[in-house]
Amino acid sequence: MLTRFFRNARVLTLGLLVVLLSSSIQAQETITIEFWHAMGGGLGETVDEIVARFNESQDEIVVNATFQGSYDDTFNALIASLETDTLPNVTQNFDLAAQTMFDFPGLLPAHEMMALDGFDASIFVPAVADYYSDDTGMVAMAFNSSTPIVYFNVDVLAEAGYDELPLDWDFSTFKEVCDAVLATGIESCVTLGQVGWYFEQILANSGGLYFNNDNGRTGRATEAVFNQGQGVEVFEFLTSLYTEGYAPDLGSTWTDTDASFIAGQSAMELDSTAGARGLQEGADFIIDTTYIPHSDSSDRNGVVIGGAALWLLDSGDEATNLAAWEFMKFVAQPEQQILWHTNTGYFPVRTDLADNEELGAFWMDNPNFLTAIEQLGSTTTTLEDGSPNYAVLGGRAGFFPSIRQLIVDAYRRVIDDGLTAQEALDEAAERANQILADYNEIVGG
Amino acid sequence: MDQSTSNPPPTPTVGLTNKTKRESEADRQRKNKLSAAIEGYLYLAPTLIALTIFVFIPVVQSFQLSLTRSSFGRSIDVGFDNYVRLFNDDRYHDVIWTTLKFTMGTVPIGIALAVVLAIALSYPLKHLSWFYRLLIFVPIVISTAVTGVLFKWIYHPTVGYLNHLLGFFGIDGPTWLTQGDWPLVSIIIAVVWRQIGFNTIIALAGIQNIDGTLYEAAKVDGANLWHRIRHITLPLLSPTLFFLLIINVIGSLQVFGEIDILTNGSISTRTMLYSIYFEAFRSQNNGGASAQAFILFLLIVGLSFMQFVVVGKKVHYQ
Repeated sequence: MLTRFFRNARVLTLGLLVVLLSSSIQAQETITIEFWHAMGGGLGETVDEIVARFNESQDEIVVNATFQGSYDDTFNALIASLETDTLPNVTQNFDLAAQTMFDFPGLLPAHEMMALDGFDASIFVPAVADYYSDDTGMVAMAFNSSTPIVYFNVDVLAEAGYDELPLDWDFSTFKEVCDAVLATGIESCVTLGQVGWYFEQILANSGGLYFNNDNGRTGRATEAVFNQGQGVEVFEFLTSLYTEGYAPDLGSTWTDTDASFIAGQSAMELDSTAGARGLQEGADFIIDTTYIPHSDSSDRNGVVIGGAALWLLDSGDEATNLAAWEFMKFVAQPEQQILWHTNTGYFPVRTDLADNEELGAFWMDNPNFLTAIEQLGSTTTTLEDGSPNYAVLGGRAGFFPSIRQLIVDAYRRVIDDGLTAQEALDEAAERANQILADYNEIVGG
Repeated sequence: MDQSTSNPPPTPTVGLTNKTKRESEADRQRKNKLSAAIEGYLYLAPTLIALTIFVFIPVVQSFQLSLTRSSFGRSIDVGFDNYVRLFNDDRYHDVIWTTLKFTMGTVPIGIALAVVLAIALSYPLKHLSWFYRLLIFVPIVISTAVTGVLFKWIYHPTVGYLNHLLGFFGIDGPTWLTQGDWPLVSIIIAVVWRQIGFNTIIALAGIQNIDGTLYEAAKVDGANLWHRIRHITLPLLSPTLFFLLIINVIGSLQVFGEIDILTNGSISTRTMLYSIYFEAFRSQNNGGASAQAFILFLLIVGLSFMQFVVVGKKVHYQ
């Protein structure tokens, strides 16, 4: 009896040991990659799906995705993690963080991995590639790119006498449409949040610069120039939408505007292309889309790439870095890009997807998803004299997120405190210059 | 067995014996005192250690940080430049003004409402007191994030409940969360609502502690309800009111959730506390944020001190 017990026990122990050993061998072989992202809600579910696909596709690398909150939160978490030495391996970080990320200690530029791996970066849409490139090549891996577009309620616009809206339209035309729309008795013409992004985009569309040194692209930005030339005209237009009763004053919001558009209280909404899916599902009327407007005194230039990219952080261990790179490459593959685009509205960042059959069929059914791609595709990237159009390349500066916030404040300075657009922008520019000077002093421009 | 019995047999000299005896007694007393002191400090130790780690050291560190400009783990010594900048910054002056308006809005209204409710619960509504108490106290158990989001829907200018309701009375409601002074008013309402439960419970406890015989005596003397409230309840409630005043002022200086959720910290609702967060996490300016934190710290210390000295004198303790 007892001997049998011991024999059984021995067999059991042996079995356990084998299991333990094999699992520890497996544990040695798998590499865990920490991946931080800023995609909440439905977007986050799609990120999780992509991560799950990656983890299932092989058994050497496990990607552990963590939602860090908004873009700003993710940006701050990354800066804080530097001091506590808890950097992730891959992080999503937004467009405005580009310069800060370029200067970020411990960043492993994507072009180094591309060179090592023989990865062809020309698969990416040029505007996306350019936005995240330094002199050598792409510093970050393109992931979720978006631009703002104008969504409109087809029924209301038809009632106002517009069967469609022009793709190329200036501020006066925009307000003409608005006057006709308001005449139908609707509460407001357009709804848009007082965020810095629309100012940046409409400024670019009007050919205006945000920073000196060619938007901070031929040298470090040392001065904000958005308070000169086009900037004033653009900001006058944007603030007049509120002060002249064209838009409800919802403050600085990315999401509250959806409610008044979906409820049929506003005929148009300015929003990211990433909102395409959500708006279409929420509204019980047909939504059509068009490009954002530009100033009266300019021709249409086009838009700056928005959204975010994936950045690789040096773990100090080559195997881990390579594993993280594998994941980044996986995300850029066509299958993942198609899933990402059709689920969210962020557009595919690869050029070879333009004639993809699956997407072609999808775009037939969902033409609004195509508007942003075409808006970007028709952007003037080179001026008549052959020089790059720095306006649509977008501004690049350290701590740009803090400077964007100054524009948010400037809206209130005009609406509440009665400053003119010029005065509010001058005030913002003065503070922006201080931020730039401080940044360049710390980082050592 | 105590020390005196274990002593060696007494020597013939009486005076010496007395002296040793006295000495040993003094020794014992001192020892007792010492061990009592050690015991006392031991009881205090967990709190002191925790306070040192989580309060005192961070205060010193944030002061050090306020003398620098830093980011990315790099830092430059700038002396008192961050303080000089704040001193000259119009926007920081606005922040202080906003904080003042906000505190003057929340504290008196919050306490006055609580006292009225507590008196109502003690007298006219006594029968269903438990029900009303529950009703008033409920906001306290809901997290700030949830109440913030709730109020956001209530205040929404186009699809919100409040303006819808006002519309029934033919009133065209303001855009609560954006224009002029309305955002601050909206936040004050939300904060008063959240704190009213706590304030009422404390005030109610204060009222219930008042000796019932005083009221009976007053009744016999012919005092009506108002007189009893005016001459018995309020004076005897003053220690409670004093406590509420301190707690509420400090609490209002620490409000964050409602501001962040309702207005996203728009410029007219940026209080001193929010401004610290704003500088540090939206403007990546750690030095400036630390300087603001230190100013707020001094202010709270000063306020607590002032409240104890000035108001403390006028509080009526039974």
